[in-house]
Amino acid sequence: MPRWGMVIDLDRCTGCAACEVACKSENNIATVRPDQADMGRAMSWMKVETKIEGDFPDTRLSFAPRPCMQCDNPPCVKVCPVSATYLSPEGIVGQIYPRCIGCRYCANACPYTAKYFNWFAPAWPDSERAHLDPDVSVRPRGVMEKCTFCDHRLQQAKENARAAGRPLRESDFQPACADACPTRAIVFGDLDNPAHRVSTLKNDPRATRLMESLGTEPKVYYLTQKA
Amino acid sequence: MRAWLTGGAAGIAIGIAVAVTAARWAGAVTQPVAFDHRKHTQDLKLDCALCHPNVAVGQHPGLPSVEICAMCHQTRLGTSSASAQVTGYVTSGRPLVFRKLFGLPPYVFFTHRRHVAIAKLPCADCHGDIALTTTPPRRPLVTITMNFCLHCHLKMHQSTDCIACHR
Ligand code: HEC
Ligand code: HEC
Ligand code: HEC
Ligand code: HEC
Ligand code: HEC
Repeated sequence: MPRWGMVIDLDRCTGCAACEVACKSENNIATVRPDQADMGRAMSWMKVETKIEGDFPDTRLSFAPRPCMQCDNPPCVKVCPVSATYLSPEGIVGQIYPRCIGCRYCANACPYTAKYFNWFAPAWPDSERAHLDPDVSVRPRGVMEKCTFCDHRLQQAKENARAAGRPLRESDFQPACADACPTRAIVFGDLDNPAHRVSTLKNDPRATRLMESLGTEPKVYYLTQKA
Repeated sequence: MRAWLTGGAAGIAIGIAVAVTAARWAGAVTQPVAFDHRKHTQDLKLDCALCHPNVAVGQHPGLPSVEICAMCHQTRLGTSSASAQVTGYVTSGRPLVFRKLFGLPPYVFFTHRRHVAIAKLPCADCHGDIALTTTPPRRPLVTITMNFCLHCHLKMHQSTDCIACHR
Protein backbone atom coordinates (compact mmCIF):
# COMPACT_ATOMS: atom_id res chain seq x y z
CA MET A 1 0.00 0.00 0.00
CA PRO A 2 1.55 3.34 -1.00
CA ARG A 3 1.81 6.27 1.43
CA TRP A 4 1.50 9.38 -0.72
CA GLY A 5 3.56 12.36 0.30
CA MET A 6 5.14 15.54 -0.96
CA VAL A 7 8.51 17.26 -0.64
CA ILE A 8 8.70 20.99 -1.36
CA ASP A 9 12.13 22.52 -1.89
CA LEU A 10 11.77 26.08 -0.58
CA ASP A 11 15.23 26.99 -1.87
CA ARG A 12 13.90 26.39 -5.39
CA CYS A 13 10.52 28.07 -4.94
CA THR A 14 10.31 31.41 -6.73
CA GLY A 15 6.85 32.25 -5.36
CA CYS A 16 5.34 32.34 -8.86
CA ALA A 17 2.07 30.81 -7.57
CA ALA A 18 1.67 28.56 -10.62
CA CYS A 19 0.82 25.76 -8.17
CA GLU A 20 -1.93 27.84 -6.63
CA VAL A 21 -3.50 28.65 -9.99
CA ALA A 22 -3.16 25.08 -11.27
CA CYS A 23 -4.82 23.78 -8.12
CA LYS A 24 -7.74 26.18 -8.38
CA SER A 25 -8.51 25.29 -11.94
CA GLU A 26 -7.92 21.55 -11.49
CA ASN A 27 -10.19 21.31 -8.48
CA ASN A 28 -13.02 23.70 -9.40
CA ILE A 29 -12.31 25.96 -6.47
CA ALA A 30 -14.96 28.65 -6.42
CA THR A 31 -13.99 32.31 -6.40
CA VAL A 32 -15.47 34.87 -4.04
CA ARG A 33 -16.01 38.62 -4.38
CA PRO A 34 -13.27 40.93 -3.09
CA ASP A 35 -15.37 42.07 -0.14
CA GLN A 36 -16.01 38.42 0.76
CA ALA A 37 -12.30 37.67 0.45
CA ASP A 38 -11.61 40.54 2.87
CA MET A 39 -13.76 38.67 5.38
CA GLY A 40 -11.50 35.62 4.98
CA ARG A 41 -13.94 33.65 2.87
CA ALA A 42 -11.57 32.91 -0.03
CA MET A 43 -10.58 29.29 -0.61
CA SER A 44 -7.19 28.11 -1.77
CA TRP A 45 -6.27 24.47 -1.22
CA MET A 46 -2.70 25.31 -2.19
CA LYS A 47 -1.54 28.66 -0.90
CA VAL A 48 1.83 30.32 -1.39
CA GLU A 49 2.72 32.16 1.80
CA THR A 50 5.11 35.09 1.41
CA LYS A 51 7.43 36.23 4.16
CA ILE A 52 9.51 39.42 4.08
CA GLU A 53 12.46 39.52 6.47
CA GLY A 54 14.87 42.32 7.33
CA ASP A 55 14.59 46.08 6.87
CA PHE A 56 14.77 47.96 3.59
CA PRO A 57 17.04 47.83 1.65
CA ASP A 58 18.34 44.64 3.31
CA THR A 59 15.22 42.58 2.73
CA ARG A 60 14.87 38.94 1.89
CA LEU A 61 11.74 37.37 0.45
CA SER A 62 10.85 33.79 1.14
CA PHE A 63 7.92 31.68 0.02
CA ALA A 64 6.19 28.56 1.27
CA PRO A 65 3.54 26.74 -0.78
CA ARG A 66 1.08 25.21 1.67
CA PRO A 67 -1.25 22.38 0.65
CA CYS A 68 -3.01 20.14 3.17
CA MET A 69 -0.26 18.37 5.14
CA GLN A 70 -2.17 15.05 4.85
CA CYS A 71 -1.22 14.23 8.46
CA ASP A 72 -0.79 10.61 9.48
CA ASN A 73 -2.33 11.66 12.78
CA PRO A 74 -4.86 14.22 11.54
CA PRO A 75 -6.50 16.41 14.20
CA CYS A 76 -9.37 17.25 11.84
CA VAL A 77 -10.45 13.61 11.62
CA LYS A 78 -10.67 13.27 15.40
CA VAL A 79 -13.20 16.06 15.77
CA CYS A 80 -15.51 15.24 12.85
CA PRO A 81 -18.83 14.21 14.43
CA VAL A 82 -20.06 12.42 11.28
CA SER A 83 -16.88 10.79 9.90
CA ALA A 84 -17.05 12.92 6.77
CA THR A 85 -13.29 13.38 6.94
CA TYR A 86 -11.02 10.39 7.44
CA LEU A 87 -7.55 9.05 6.69
CA SER A 88 -7.61 6.76 3.65
CA PRO A 89 -5.49 3.58 3.61
CA GLU A 90 -3.09 5.31 1.18
CA GLY A 91 -2.60 8.23 3.53
CA ILE A 92 -4.83 10.85 1.90
CA VAL A 93 -7.13 12.77 4.23
CA GLY A 94 -10.45 12.51 2.40
CA GLN A 95 -13.44 14.81 2.67
CA ILE A 96 -16.75 13.21 1.70
CA TYR A 97 -18.85 16.18 0.68
CA PRO A 98 -22.34 14.61 0.79
CA ARG A 99 -21.57 13.38 4.31
CA CYS A 100 -20.30 16.74 5.61
CA ILE A 101 -22.72 18.75 7.75
CA GLY A 102 -20.62 21.93 7.70
CA CYS A 103 -20.05 22.20 11.46
CA ARG A 104 -16.50 23.51 10.82
CA TYR A 105 -15.00 21.70 13.82
CA CYS A 106 -12.30 20.34 11.50
CA ALA A 107 -11.37 23.80 10.27
CA ASN A 108 -10.79 24.85 13.87
CA ALA A 109 -8.85 21.72 14.73
CA CYS A 110 -6.45 22.02 11.81
CA PRO A 111 -3.25 23.78 12.91
CA TYR A 112 -2.32 24.42 9.26
CA THR A 113 -5.61 26.15 8.31
CA ALA A 114 -5.85 23.79 5.35
CA LYS A 115 -9.62 23.30 5.48
CA TYR A 116 -12.01 25.71 3.83
CA PHE A 117 -15.69 26.31 4.33
CA ASN A 118 -18.04 27.11 1.45
CA TRP A 119 -19.75 30.20 2.77
CA PHE A 120 -21.54 30.86 -0.51
CA ALA A 121 -23.05 28.98 -3.40
CA PRO A 122 -20.10 28.27 -5.72
CA ALA A 123 -19.60 30.94 -8.37
CA TRP A 124 -17.12 31.71 -11.13
CA PRO A 125 -16.67 34.56 -13.56
CA ASP A 126 -18.51 33.74 -16.84
CA SER A 127 -15.23 33.30 -18.68
CA GLU A 128 -14.23 30.52 -16.27
CA ARG A 129 -17.40 28.46 -16.18
CA ALA A 130 -16.68 26.45 -19.32
CA HIS A 131 -13.37 25.32 -17.82
CA LEU A 132 -14.80 23.33 -14.92
CA ASP A 133 -13.10 19.97 -14.40
CA PRO A 134 -15.66 17.18 -14.92
CA ASP A 135 -13.66 14.79 -12.73
CA VAL A 136 -14.07 16.88 -9.60
CA SER A 137 -17.49 17.67 -8.15
CA VAL A 138 -18.52 21.24 -7.46
CA ARG A 139 -18.99 21.59 -3.73
CA PRO A 140 -22.27 23.09 -2.59
CA ARG A 141 -22.62 25.87 -0.05
CA GLY A 142 -22.24 24.72 3.55
CA VAL A 143 -19.60 22.01 3.31
CA MET A 144 -15.89 21.93 4.11
CA GLU A 145 -13.42 21.30 1.35
CA LYS A 146 -9.71 20.60 1.22
CA CYS A 147 -6.71 19.50 -0.82
CA THR A 148 -6.95 15.81 -1.73
CA PHE A 149 -3.53 15.40 -3.38
CA CYS A 150 -5.65 15.40 -6.58
CA ASP A 151 -7.13 12.04 -5.65
CA HIS A 152 -9.20 11.99 -8.86
CA ARG A 153 -5.92 11.79 -10.77
CA LEU A 154 -4.95 8.80 -8.66
CA GLN A 155 -8.20 7.02 -9.60
CA GLN A 156 -7.53 7.61 -13.28
CA ALA A 157 -3.89 6.63 -12.99
CA LYS A 158 -4.86 3.37 -11.32
CA GLU A 159 -7.40 2.66 -14.03
CA ASN A 160 -4.91 3.35 -16.82
CA ALA A 161 -2.32 1.12 -15.15
CA ARG A 162 -4.90 -1.66 -14.72
CA ALA A 163 -5.93 -1.34 -18.37
CA ALA A 164 -2.31 -1.59 -19.45
CA GLY A 165 -1.71 -4.46 -17.03
CA ARG A 166 1.27 -2.90 -15.27
CA PRO A 167 1.95 -1.49 -11.81
CA LEU A 168 1.48 2.19 -11.03
CA ARG A 169 4.61 4.28 -11.76
CA GLU A 170 5.76 7.47 -10.06
CA SER A 171 5.04 9.58 -13.14
CA ASP A 172 1.50 8.17 -13.50
CA PHE A 173 0.17 10.09 -10.53
CA GLN A 174 1.27 13.66 -9.94
CA PRO A 175 -1.01 16.32 -8.45
CA ALA A 176 -1.71 19.47 -10.47
CA CYS A 177 0.57 21.66 -8.32
CA ALA A 178 3.61 19.42 -8.83
CA ASP A 179 2.84 19.22 -12.55
CA ALA A 180 2.71 23.00 -12.83
CA CYS A 181 5.81 23.92 -10.83
CA PRO A 182 8.32 25.46 -13.29
CA THR A 183 11.33 24.95 -11.00
CA ARG A 184 10.33 21.42 -9.98
CA ALA A 185 10.33 22.51 -6.36
CA ILE A 186 7.34 20.25 -5.64
CA VAL A 187 8.15 16.55 -5.72
CA PHE A 188 5.42 13.99 -5.21
CA GLY A 189 5.28 10.23 -4.75
CA ASP A 190 5.11 7.26 -2.42
CA LEU A 191 7.12 7.97 0.74
CA ASP A 192 7.61 4.25 1.39
CA ASN A 193 8.74 3.30 -2.11
CA PRO A 194 12.54 3.52 -2.51
CA ALA A 195 12.09 4.02 -6.27
CA HIS A 196 10.24 7.30 -5.71
CA ARG A 197 12.29 10.47 -5.24
CA VAL A 198 10.32 11.61 -2.19
CA SER A 199 11.45 8.58 -0.20
CA THR A 200 15.07 9.77 -0.29
CA LEU A 201 14.38 13.52 -0.31
CA LYS A 202 12.43 13.26 2.93
CA ASN A 203 15.63 12.13 4.67
CA ASP A 204 17.65 15.05 3.27
CA PRO A 205 19.45 17.03 6.03
CA ARG A 206 17.51 20.11 4.87
CA ALA A 207 14.17 18.39 5.46
CA THR A 208 11.72 19.61 8.07
CA ARG A 209 7.98 19.45 8.68
CA LEU A 210 5.66 22.16 9.90
CA MET A 211 4.78 22.15 13.61
CA GLU A 212 6.24 18.71 14.08
CA SER A 213 5.99 19.07 17.85
CA LEU A 214 2.21 18.79 17.65
CA GLY A 215 2.55 15.14 16.71
CA THR A 216 0.39 15.48 13.61
CA GLU A 217 2.92 13.53 11.48
CA PRO A 218 2.46 15.57 8.30
CA LYS A 219 3.31 13.90 4.98
CA VAL A 220 4.41 17.17 3.39
CA TYR A 221 8.13 17.83 3.92
CA TYR A 222 9.95 21.10 3.31
CA LEU A 223 13.58 21.40 2.27
CA THR A 224 15.30 24.58 3.32
CA GLN A 225 18.84 25.73 3.99
CA LYS A 226 17.71 27.99 6.83
CA ALA A 227 15.62 26.24 9.51
CA MET B 1 -71.46 15.59 9.47
CA ARG B 2 -69.61 12.42 10.24
CA ALA B 3 -70.17 11.18 6.68
CA TRP B 4 -68.75 14.44 5.40
CA LEU B 5 -65.72 14.04 7.66
CA THR B 6 -64.93 10.50 6.54
CA GLY B 7 -65.62 11.55 2.98
CA GLY B 8 -63.21 14.45 3.42
CA ALA B 9 -60.56 12.22 4.92
CA ALA B 10 -60.92 9.78 2.04
CA GLY B 11 -60.72 12.72 -0.37
CA ILE B 12 -57.50 13.91 1.25
CA ALA B 13 -56.09 10.38 1.15
CA ILE B 14 -56.94 10.14 -2.55
CA GLY B 15 -55.50 13.60 -3.09
CA ILE B 16 -52.23 12.54 -1.45
CA ALA B 17 -52.17 9.33 -3.46
CA VAL B 18 -52.70 11.30 -6.68
CA ALA B 19 -50.03 13.80 -5.71
CA VAL B 20 -47.56 11.00 -4.91
CA THR B 21 -48.34 9.25 -8.20
CA ALA B 22 -48.01 12.53 -10.07
CA ALA B 23 -44.64 13.18 -8.43
CA ARG B 24 -43.52 9.71 -9.40
CA TRP B 25 -44.69 10.14 -12.99
CA ALA B 26 -42.85 13.42 -13.17
CA GLY B 27 -39.64 11.46 -12.53
CA ALA B 28 -40.38 8.93 -15.27
CA VAL B 29 -38.24 9.07 -18.40
CA THR B 30 -40.02 9.24 -21.74
CA GLN B 31 -38.12 8.71 -24.99
CA PRO B 32 -38.77 10.36 -28.36
CA VAL B 33 -39.29 7.03 -30.14
CA ALA B 34 -40.24 3.58 -28.85
CA PHE B 35 -36.85 1.92 -29.29
CA ASP B 36 -36.77 -1.86 -29.08
CA HIS B 37 -33.62 -3.31 -27.47
CA ARG B 38 -34.76 -6.90 -27.88
CA LYS B 39 -35.14 -6.58 -31.64
CA HIS B 40 -31.75 -4.94 -32.14
CA THR B 41 -29.66 -6.86 -29.60
CA GLN B 42 -31.30 -10.32 -29.74
CA ASP B 43 -32.83 -10.67 -33.23
CA LEU B 44 -30.29 -8.53 -35.09
CA LYS B 45 -27.43 -9.42 -32.69
CA LEU B 46 -26.01 -5.91 -32.69
CA ASP B 47 -23.15 -5.16 -30.30
CA CYS B 48 -23.97 -2.80 -27.41
CA ALA B 49 -20.95 -0.67 -28.36
CA LEU B 50 -22.47 0.13 -31.76
CA CYS B 51 -24.97 2.43 -30.08
CA HIS B 52 -23.15 3.05 -26.78
CA PRO B 53 -19.73 3.75 -28.30
CA ASN B 54 -17.68 4.62 -25.20
CA VAL B 55 -18.83 1.72 -23.07
CA ALA B 56 -15.43 0.00 -22.98
CA VAL B 57 -13.19 3.05 -23.27
CA GLY B 58 -14.71 5.85 -21.23
CA GLN B 59 -16.63 6.90 -18.16
CA HIS B 60 -19.95 7.38 -19.96
CA PRO B 61 -21.09 4.95 -22.69
CA GLY B 62 -23.18 7.59 -24.43
CA LEU B 63 -26.57 7.30 -26.12
CA PRO B 64 -26.91 6.95 -29.92
CA SER B 65 -27.48 9.93 -32.19
CA VAL B 66 -29.60 9.79 -35.31
CA GLU B 67 -26.51 9.13 -37.46
CA ILE B 68 -26.23 5.65 -35.94
CA CYS B 69 -29.87 4.80 -36.71
CA ALA B 70 -29.27 6.18 -40.22
CA MET B 71 -26.90 3.31 -40.93
CA CYS B 72 -29.99 1.12 -41.42
CA HIS B 73 -33.15 3.20 -41.18
CA GLN B 74 -32.81 5.17 -44.45
CA THR B 75 -35.98 3.48 -45.64
CA ARG B 76 -38.78 2.10 -43.53
CA LEU B 77 -37.86 -1.24 -41.95
CA GLY B 78 -40.66 -3.55 -40.79
CA THR B 79 -44.21 -2.40 -40.37
CA SER B 80 -44.36 -0.63 -37.00
CA SER B 81 -45.18 3.05 -36.69
CA ALA B 82 -42.15 3.50 -34.41
CA SER B 83 -39.91 2.31 -37.21
CA ALA B 84 -41.57 4.79 -39.58
CA GLN B 85 -40.94 7.51 -37.01
CA VAL B 86 -37.21 6.69 -36.97
CA THR B 87 -37.05 6.90 -40.75
CA GLY B 88 -38.80 10.26 -40.43
CA TYR B 89 -36.03 11.52 -38.13
CA VAL B 90 -33.35 10.10 -40.42
CA THR B 91 -34.69 11.57 -43.68
CA SER B 92 -35.64 14.97 -42.22
CA GLY B 93 -32.35 15.33 -40.36
CA ARG B 94 -34.18 16.38 -37.21
CA PRO B 95 -32.06 15.69 -34.12
CA LEU B 96 -33.08 12.57 -32.20
CA VAL B 97 -32.13 13.00 -28.56
CA PHE B 98 -32.57 10.09 -26.17
CA ARG B 99 -32.82 10.83 -22.46
CA LYS B 100 -30.63 9.34 -19.78
CA LEU B 101 -32.26 6.73 -17.58
CA PHE B 102 -29.57 5.57 -15.15
CA GLY B 103 -27.72 8.27 -13.27
CA LEU B 104 -25.45 9.00 -10.34
CA PRO B 105 -25.14 12.16 -8.27
CA PRO B 106 -22.28 14.43 -9.41
CA TYR B 107 -20.15 13.60 -6.37
CA VAL B 108 -19.76 9.94 -7.40
CA PHE B 109 -16.90 8.77 -9.60
CA PHE B 110 -17.75 5.76 -11.75
CA THR B 111 -16.28 4.56 -15.02
CA HIS B 112 -17.57 1.97 -17.45
CA ARG B 113 -14.07 1.24 -18.68
CA ARG B 114 -13.07 -0.06 -15.25
CA HIS B 115 -16.14 -2.28 -14.90
CA VAL B 116 -16.77 -3.33 -18.51
CA ALA B 117 -13.35 -3.46 -20.17
CA ILE B 118 -11.15 -4.27 -17.17
CA ALA B 119 -13.40 -6.22 -14.77
CA LYS B 120 -15.43 -7.71 -17.68
CA LEU B 121 -18.73 -7.52 -15.81
CA PRO B 122 -21.91 -8.24 -17.76
CA CYS B 123 -24.11 -5.20 -18.39
CA ALA B 124 -27.03 -6.99 -16.75
CA ASP B 125 -25.29 -6.90 -13.34
CA CYS B 126 -26.11 -3.22 -13.14
CA HIS B 127 -28.72 -2.63 -15.84
CA GLY B 128 -30.91 -5.70 -15.42
CA ASP B 129 -32.57 -7.11 -18.52
CA ILE B 130 -32.56 -3.90 -20.52
CA ALA B 131 -31.29 -5.81 -23.55
CA LEU B 132 -34.56 -7.76 -23.53
CA THR B 133 -36.91 -4.77 -23.32
CA THR B 134 -39.21 -4.10 -26.27
CA THR B 135 -40.09 -0.54 -25.26
CA PRO B 136 -37.89 1.99 -23.44
CA PRO B 137 -38.15 1.54 -19.67
CA ARG B 138 -39.54 4.58 -17.90
CA ARG B 139 -37.44 4.04 -14.79
CA PRO B 140 -34.17 2.21 -14.15
CA LEU B 141 -34.59 -1.58 -13.99
CA VAL B 142 -32.06 -1.65 -11.13
CA THR B 143 -31.92 0.95 -8.36
CA ILE B 144 -28.29 1.93 -8.06
CA THR B 145 -27.48 3.00 -4.52
CA MET B 146 -24.26 3.14 -2.56
CA ASN B 147 -25.22 -0.18 -0.98
CA PHE B 148 -25.55 -1.70 -4.42
CA CYS B 149 -21.98 -0.68 -5.34
CA LEU B 150 -20.57 -1.70 -1.95
CA HIS B 151 -22.34 -5.05 -1.96
CA CYS B 152 -20.54 -6.12 -5.13
CA HIS B 153 -17.23 -4.54 -4.11
CA LEU B 154 -17.26 -6.50 -0.86
CA LYS B 155 -18.24 -9.69 -2.64
CA MET B 156 -15.47 -9.25 -5.23
CA HIS B 157 -12.87 -7.99 -2.70
CA GLN B 158 -12.67 -4.54 -4.26
CA SER B 159 -12.07 -1.16 -2.69
CA THR B 160 -14.59 0.19 -0.18
CA ASP B 161 -12.53 3.30 0.47
CA CYS B 162 -14.78 6.37 0.42
CA ILE B 163 -12.52 8.43 -1.85
CA ALA B 164 -12.37 5.69 -4.48
CA CYS B 165 -15.99 6.51 -5.36
CA HIS B 166 -16.49 9.98 -3.91
CA ARG B 167 -14.89 13.06 -5.40
C1 HEC C 1 -20.89 -1.96 -12.39
C2 HEC C 1 -22.14 -1.47 -12.88
C3 HEC C 1 -22.34 -1.24 -14.38
C4 HEC C 1 -22.03 -2.09 -15.42
C5 HEC C 1 -21.38 -3.45 -15.35
C6 HEC C 1 -22.48 -1.42 -16.62
N1 HEC C 1 -23.02 -0.19 -16.30
FE1 HEC C 1 -23.83 1.14 -17.60
N2 HEC C 1 -24.17 2.47 -16.07
C7 HEC C 1 -23.88 2.22 -14.74
C8 HEC C 1 -24.16 3.39 -13.97
C9 HEC C 1 -23.95 3.55 -12.47
C10 HEC C 1 -24.62 4.37 -14.89
C11 HEC C 1 -24.97 5.83 -14.60
C12 HEC C 1 -23.66 6.56 -14.75
C13 HEC C 1 -23.66 8.04 -14.61
O1 HEC C 1 -24.68 8.68 -14.78
O2 HEC C 1 -22.56 8.58 -14.36
C14 HEC C 1 -24.64 3.74 -16.19
C15 HEC C 1 -25.03 4.38 -17.36
C16 HEC C 1 -25.10 3.74 -18.60
C17 HEC C 1 -25.64 4.32 -19.81
C18 HEC C 1 -26.21 5.71 -19.92
C19 HEC C 1 -25.49 6.58 -20.88
C20 HEC C 1 -24.37 7.39 -20.32
O3 HEC C 1 -23.52 7.82 -21.14
O4 HEC C 1 -24.31 7.66 -19.12
C21 HEC C 1 -25.54 3.39 -20.80
C22 HEC C 1 -25.97 3.53 -22.26
C23 HEC C 1 -24.93 2.22 -20.22
N3 HEC C 1 -24.66 2.45 -18.89
C24 HEC C 1 -24.64 1.07 -20.93
C25 HEC C 1 -23.96 -0.02 -20.41
C26 HEC C 1 -23.57 -1.18 -21.21
C27 HEC C 1 -23.86 -1.37 -22.69
C28 HEC C 1 -22.92 -2.03 -20.36
C29 HEC C 1 -22.28 -3.38 -20.67
C30 HEC C 1 -21.33 -3.42 -21.75
C31 HEC C 1 -22.92 -1.41 -19.03
N4 HEC C 1 -23.53 -0.18 -19.11
C32 HEC C 1 -22.36 -1.96 -17.89
C33 HEC C 1 -23.42 1.03 -14.20
C34 HEC C 1 -22.97 -0.06 -14.94
C1 HEC D 1 -27.80 -2.48 -37.99
C2 HEC D 1 -29.00 -1.90 -38.52
C3 HEC D 1 -29.86 -1.09 -37.55
C4 HEC D 1 -29.49 0.00 -36.78
C5 HEC D 1 -28.10 0.62 -36.63
C6 HEC D 1 -30.69 0.46 -36.14
N1 HEC D 1 -31.75 -0.33 -36.48
FE1 HEC D 1 -33.67 -0.15 -35.86
N2 HEC D 1 -34.22 -1.73 -36.90
C7 HEC D 1 -33.40 -2.46 -37.77
C8 HEC D 1 -34.18 -3.45 -38.47
C9 HEC D 1 -33.65 -4.45 -39.51
C10 HEC D 1 -35.50 -3.30 -38.01
C11 HEC D 1 -36.74 -4.04 -38.47
C12 HEC D 1 -36.94 -5.30 -37.72
C13 HEC D 1 -38.25 -5.94 -38.11
O1 HEC D 1 -39.30 -5.36 -37.83
O2 HEC D 1 -38.19 -7.00 -38.69
C14 HEC D 1 -35.49 -2.24 -37.03
C15 HEC D 1 -36.61 -1.84 -36.32
C16 HEC D 1 -36.65 -0.71 -35.54
C17 HEC D 1 -37.80 -0.23 -34.83
C18 HEC D 1 -39.16 -0.87 -34.83
C19 HEC D 1 -39.18 -1.90 -33.76
C20 HEC D 1 -40.44 -2.74 -33.69
O3 HEC D 1 -40.71 -3.18 -32.58
O4 HEC D 1 -41.06 -2.96 -34.71
C21 HEC D 1 -37.44 0.89 -34.16
C22 HEC D 1 -38.32 1.76 -33.27
C23 HEC D 1 -36.05 1.11 -34.40
N3 HEC D 1 -35.59 0.10 -35.24
C24 HEC D 1 -35.32 2.15 -33.88
C25 HEC D 1 -33.97 2.34 -34.09
C26 HEC D 1 -33.23 3.44 -33.56
C27 HEC D 1 -33.82 4.57 -32.72
C28 HEC D 1 -31.96 3.30 -33.98
C29 HEC D 1 -30.78 4.21 -33.69
C30 HEC D 1 -30.47 4.38 -32.28
C31 HEC D 1 -31.87 2.07 -34.75
N4 HEC D 1 -33.12 1.53 -34.79
C32 HEC D 1 -30.72 1.57 -35.30
C33 HEC D 1 -32.06 -2.26 -37.95
C34 HEC D 1 -31.29 -1.27 -37.35
C1 HEC E 1 -29.31 -0.04 -32.16
C2 HEC E 1 -28.87 0.74 -31.08
C3 HEC E 1 -28.67 0.13 -29.69
C4 HEC E 1 -28.04 -1.05 -29.36
C5 HEC E 1 -27.37 -2.06 -30.28
C6 HEC E 1 -28.08 -1.13 -27.92
N1 HEC E 1 -28.72 -0.03 -27.40
FE1 HEC E 1 -28.98 0.40 -25.46
N2 HEC E 1 -29.99 2.10 -25.94
C7 HEC E 1 -30.30 2.49 -27.23
C8 HEC E 1 -31.24 3.60 -27.19
C9 HEC E 1 -31.82 4.29 -28.41
C10 HEC E 1 -31.49 3.86 -25.82
C11 HEC E 1 -32.45 4.89 -25.23
C12 HEC E 1 -33.86 4.36 -25.31
C13 HEC E 1 -34.15 3.23 -24.39
O1 HEC E 1 -33.93 3.34 -23.18
O2 HEC E 1 -34.62 2.15 -24.88
C14 HEC E 1 -30.69 2.91 -25.07
C15 HEC E 1 -30.62 2.87 -23.69
C16 HEC E 1 -29.85 1.95 -22.99
C17 HEC E 1 -29.65 1.98 -21.55
C18 HEC E 1 -30.19 3.02 -20.61
C19 HEC E 1 -29.23 4.20 -20.70
C20 HEC E 1 -29.49 5.33 -19.78
O3 HEC E 1 -29.85 6.38 -20.27
O4 HEC E 1 -29.29 5.19 -18.58
C21 HEC E 1 -28.88 0.91 -21.24
C22 HEC E 1 -28.38 0.55 -19.86
C23 HEC E 1 -28.61 0.20 -22.46
N3 HEC E 1 -29.19 0.87 -23.50
C24 HEC E 1 -27.89 -0.96 -22.50
C25 HEC E 1 -27.64 -1.65 -23.67
C26 HEC E 1 -27.00 -2.92 -23.70
C27 HEC E 1 -26.54 -3.70 -22.49
C28 HEC E 1 -26.88 -3.27 -25.02
C29 HEC E 1 -26.26 -4.54 -25.62
C30 HEC E 1 -26.79 -5.79 -25.12
C31 HEC E 1 -27.47 -2.20 -25.80
N4 HEC E 1 -27.94 -1.24 -24.94
C32 HEC E 1 -27.52 -2.16 -27.17
C33 HEC E 1 -29.79 1.95 -28.38
C34 HEC E 1 -29.10 0.76 -28.46
C1 HEC F 1 -21.10 -6.22 -10.12
C2 HEC F 1 -19.99 -5.77 -9.31
C3 HEC F 1 -19.70 -4.29 -9.18
C4 HEC F 1 -20.60 -3.27 -8.99
C5 HEC F 1 -22.12 -3.35 -8.88
C6 HEC F 1 -19.82 -2.08 -8.87
N1 HEC F 1 -18.48 -2.35 -9.00
FE1 HEC F 1 -16.96 -1.00 -8.92
N2 HEC F 1 -15.63 -2.47 -9.26
C7 HEC F 1 -15.93 -3.80 -9.47
C8 HEC F 1 -14.71 -4.53 -9.76
C9 HEC F 1 -14.61 -6.02 -10.04
C10 HEC F 1 -13.66 -3.58 -9.73
C11 HEC F 1 -12.17 -3.83 -9.98
C12 HEC F 1 -11.86 -3.64 -11.42
C13 HEC F 1 -10.42 -4.04 -11.69
O1 HEC F 1 -10.19 -5.22 -11.87
O2 HEC F 1 -9.57 -3.16 -11.70
C14 HEC F 1 -14.28 -2.31 -9.40
C15 HEC F 1 -13.54 -1.13 -9.24
C16 HEC F 1 -14.10 0.09 -8.93
C17 HEC F 1 -13.36 1.29 -8.68
C18 HEC F 1 -11.85 1.43 -8.62
C19 HEC F 1 -11.47 1.14 -7.21
C20 HEC F 1 -10.00 1.20 -6.92
O3 HEC F 1 -9.46 0.17 -6.51
O4 HEC F 1 -9.41 2.23 -7.11
C21 HEC F 1 -14.27 2.29 -8.44
C22 HEC F 1 -13.98 3.75 -8.13
C23 HEC F 1 -15.59 1.70 -8.53
N3 HEC F 1 -15.45 0.37 -8.83
C24 HEC F 1 -16.76 2.40 -8.33
C25 HEC F 1 -18.01 1.82 -8.36
C26 HEC F 1 -19.25 2.54 -8.15
C27 HEC F 1 -19.35 4.03 -7.86
C28 HEC F 1 -20.25 1.64 -8.25
C29 HEC F 1 -21.75 1.88 -8.10
C30 HEC F 1 -22.34 2.83 -8.99
C31 HEC F 1 -19.65 0.35 -8.51
N4 HEC F 1 -18.30 0.49 -8.57
C32 HEC F 1 -20.38 -0.83 -8.66
C33 HEC F 1 -17.17 -4.38 -9.37
C34 HEC F 1 -18.36 -3.70 -9.20
C1 HEC G 1 -18.16 1.66 -4.24
C2 HEC G 1 -18.45 3.03 -4.29
C3 HEC G 1 -18.70 3.83 -3.01
C4 HEC G 1 -17.93 3.83 -1.87
C5 HEC G 1 -16.68 3.02 -1.55
C6 HEC G 1 -18.55 4.79 -0.98
N1 HEC G 1 -19.65 5.36 -1.58
FE1 HEC G 1 -20.91 6.74 -0.76
N2 HEC G 1 -22.06 6.73 -2.42
C7 HEC G 1 -21.83 5.93 -3.53
C8 HEC G 1 -22.90 6.15 -4.49
C9 HEC G 1 -23.04 5.48 -5.84
C10 HEC G 1 -23.77 7.11 -3.92
C11 HEC G 1 -25.04 7.70 -4.54
C12 HEC G 1 -26.20 6.89 -4.08
C13 HEC G 1 -27.53 7.43 -4.51
O1 HEC G 1 -27.62 8.18 -5.46
O2 HEC G 1 -28.49 7.04 -3.85
C14 HEC G 1 -23.21 7.44 -2.62
C15 HEC G 1 -23.80 8.35 -1.72
C16 HEC G 1 -23.24 8.71 -0.52
C17 HEC G 1 -23.81 9.68 0.39
C18 HEC G 1 -25.07 10.48 0.15
C19 HEC G 1 -26.25 9.69 0.59
C20 HEC G 1 -27.51 10.48 0.45
O3 HEC G 1 -28.55 9.85 0.68
O4 HEC G 1 -27.49 11.65 0.10
C21 HEC G 1 -22.99 9.75 1.48
C22 HEC G 1 -23.17 10.63 2.71
C23 HEC G 1 -21.90 8.82 1.26
N3 HEC G 1 -22.09 8.20 0.04
C24 HEC G 1 -20.86 8.61 2.16
C25 HEC G 1 -19.86 7.66 1.98
C26 HEC G 1 -18.81 7.40 2.96
C27 HEC G 1 -18.63 8.14 4.28
C28 HEC G 1 -18.03 6.41 2.44
C29 HEC G 1 -16.80 5.72 3.07
C30 HEC G 1 -17.09 5.04 4.32
C31 HEC G 1 -18.59 6.06 1.14
N4 HEC G 1 -19.70 6.84 0.90
C32 HEC G 1 -18.06 5.09 0.29
C33 HEC G 1 -20.78 5.07 -3.72
C34 HEC G 1 -19.78 4.79 -2.82
